[in-house]
This record gives sequence, structure tokens and C-alpha cells, in this order.
Amino acid sequence: MKECLVKEKKNPRLLILGCAVIEQELRQFQNGQTEFKFLDYGLHRTPENMAKALQVEIDNADGKDYDGIVLGYGLCSNGIVGIHSEKHTLIVPRIHDCITLFLGSPESYNEQAAKHPGTYYLTPGWVEKGQTPISKYESYARSYDEETARWVLHEEMKHYTRIALIDTGVYPIESYRNIGQQNAEFLGIGYEELHGSPQLFHELVCGPWEKGFLIIGKGTPIQQEMFLDL
Amino acid sequence: MIHREINPILTGNVRLDSVDQQGSNMLNRLSKAVVMRDCRVVKELTERMVKVGVDLFEILNDGLIPGMLEASERFRRGEFFIPELLMSSRALKIGLGILRPLIQESQKDVLGRVVIGTVKFDLHDIGKNLVIILLEGNGFEVIDLGVDASPEKFMKAVEKNQAQVLAMSSLLTSTMVWMKSTIELLHESGLNGRIKTMVGGAPVTPIFAKNIGADAYCREATSAPAVAKSLMGLK
Repeated sequence: MKECLVKEKKNPRLLILGCAVIEQELRQFQNGQTEFKFLDYGLHRTPENMAKALQVEIDNADGKDYDGIVLGYGLCSNGIVGIHSEKHTLIVPRIHDCITLFLGSPESYNEQAAKHPGTYYLTPGWVEKGQTPISKYESYARSYDEETARWVLHEEMKHYTRIALIDTGVYPIESYRNIGQQNAEFLGIGYEELHGSPQLFHELVCGPWEKGFLIIGKGTPIQQEMFLDL
Repeated sequence: MIHREINPILTGNVRLDSVDQQGSNMLNRLSKAVVMRDCRVVKELTERMVKVGVDLFEILNDGLIPGMLEASERFRRGEFFIPELLMSSRALKIGLGILRPLIQESQKDVLGRVVIGTVKFDLHDIGKNLVIILLEGNGFEVIDLGVDASPEKFMKAVEKNQAQVLAMSSLLTSTMVWMKSTIELLHESGLNGRIKTMVGGAPVTPIFAKNIGADAYCREATSAPAVAKSLMGLK
């Protein structure tokens, strides 16, 4: 099968399209042949826009010659549904979102979700490129009065019971501990640190994309069902 | 329709053709006020329309709901963020707060009983809470199980309350499979014959709803009352 060729190549020439919040975790495994392109984290809020933005990148890449395109995205609220490449094999981690990437496996994610469903996850990448509860509040308070901003944040966050800062090993975690703790304090909830794992990031960049990855042949659009065990 | 006979401010010199126009202008303004999160205007316009005798369901379905739908669409397109969505919901709630007792009064009986919740391991409830407001506003009795509701919890509530409709919501693709587990549990316990299920939430699709055997799919919160009514065989 043609789509398996990329797996058999020694040094495949890859394009990795990823979300900005996992840039450093992926770049640590950068090798000569691989090109990276990172997109704004805010796309996760609007799945339809995410799919459009990714499709533009894939269409551009179809003008070049890669052995495959790897997505540094999960299903991300259907933000990758419908995208396809006319020319390249797509390689996609079979995960729901980046928390699984940070924790290293769906099993680790499920374990956390079962123990603490009310977890607001933070990583240094999220702090740098994304949002925290405090930065959300600050942005709300810039548009609305303090009372409204507080009410909105409360409505959004009222069911969370802990902040979990994931140490992904590529940032000095001490520099982010304070931010994690301040956010927990701000919301009046618990704080914990979790050890992340480089495993999925490594496989995403370097292969071999075995179990846990989808290999999608050219012309085939990504579908939600590919990610679900029904 | 406007009830002209009980219209206290449109008697005298006001021509009848301008009555409809005024009503429809007010409905448009009401929609816009929901989109613009203006609680004060929503309250004023809703009260005024009630006073002049505009049909309650017309205020709801042609004023408040199109406004909320527009706000939801803007959110979907990334033009609105969570604050705007929540504030539009709050404005809608104010309008519905005025209509609800009047609708209940006019209907005498509740339309039906709906058990609703966000599925297991999922804590997102902005959309679900909006559905509750809308269902109640339309005359349904709603039993809210909150968030992180397990299949067993759904089943017990359905049995206990003799509900006709079970509505499940999720915001995560990782949790929506619990809708399937819940529907399976209803089948195993033989409850599926007397309860209809409807599912919704941002990641839920019509294909998913069909694959898990749900009776109905709800694309947006604003269509929930119509979906629930059709599941119960009501108009």
C-alpha cells in the first residue's frame, strides 16, 4: 500500500503541522529532514476555522514533495474533520486532544480523567502560547466591567476542582510553578504537578507511527469515527 | 399574531397595518438586544410586547430565540467568545423569565418531562443550561442532573421521574461515547420503549447520533424545544 511507504523510509522528508502550544515539545526531536509549521492555538476554539486553516496548509504542501504530512493535532473537537491531502499521506495521532500528547498515552489521560474529571490542565506551552484562567479573566476584564468578568469566569470554571501543571521536560518547570499555583489560588481550587511523557511527541516526529497513529491515504478525508471506539 | 383586541396602546388613531409592522420591528429589536447582550432592553421589549398582546410564542420563537441562535452562530464562527455567549444567554433568560409563568398559565399542564445532563467525565454546561432555559420556557418540566452524570444516574432519574425524554450533552469528543453507554443501559433495562433520547453538544454530529442509536440530534440549543416536542409527537 502506497500510504505505508512513508513508514518504510529510513529518513522520510516530513512536514509537521502542529499547534503552537506543543511547539517546543515537538522541536526537541527535530532532525534535518523535517519541516515544522505551527498554527495559532486559538484555532481550537473554532473547529471549523481550524479545519480551514489546516486545509490551506495542506493544499500548499501539496505543491511540494514530502514523504508524508504529520499532524500535531488530535481530533480537537472535530477541528481536523474533513481535511485531506490530494498528494500526501497524512499521519495523525489517534487522540482526542493535546492533553493525551502531554501525558504520553490515552491510558494516562483516561486515568487522570477518571480520578479528577474537574482538572484544568496547564503546560508551559499553554502558559506561553495559550491562556490561563487568570489571563482569561484579564482579557474579559478588558472588555467588560469587573463584576461581569468575574461572573463569566465563574460560569466557565465553576466545576473545576484542580489545576494540574504538566511537566513536559522541555521547560524549566520551576518557572511555571508559580503561575500554576497562582491560578489555582485565583480559582480557589487545588494544585498538582504531573509528569508528562515525551513518548507520543517522539513518535509523532520520528515514527514509526504504530498503534496509536492513523495513517490516512491521499484523497481520504479525516472523519470523527476514526477516533472513536464505538 | 398580534392580539389587537387587547392592545391598550394601539387603539384610537393607530392604523392596523402599522400594528403588525410595529410588532415585527419590536421582535427584530428584541432579537438584536439578545445578540447585543442588553438585558435592560430585552426586559423592556418583552414586557411591552406581553402588554400589547403579542403572542407569547411569537415573542419566544421570533424574537428571543433567533437572537440566541445568532449569538450561537457568531460563537461558532469565532466572532463571539465565551463572555458574549454567556451574556446573550443571560439576556435570553431574562426574557424567558417574563414569558415562562405566562406560558405555564396558558398551558395548564406541562408539555412533558425531560431529564437532562452533561455526560460522565464532562463538566461543560453552558450549552446544557441554555437548553434547560429554553425547554422550561416552552413549558417542559426539566430535571437537571448537572454535569458528570453517569449512565446509571441518567437511568435512575428517568425511572424515578417517569420522564418522556432524556437529553444528553457533551463538549468533548472523549466523553461523548458515554451517550452510547447510557443508551445501551436504557435498552438493557427495557426503558428504551418509553423514553426518547436526544443528544447534542459541539462535537456531536448527526452521524454519531445515528451510530449510537439516539432518537434525535440537536445541532444547537435553540432547536431543543422543537426536537423534544417532535419526539413526543407534539406540534
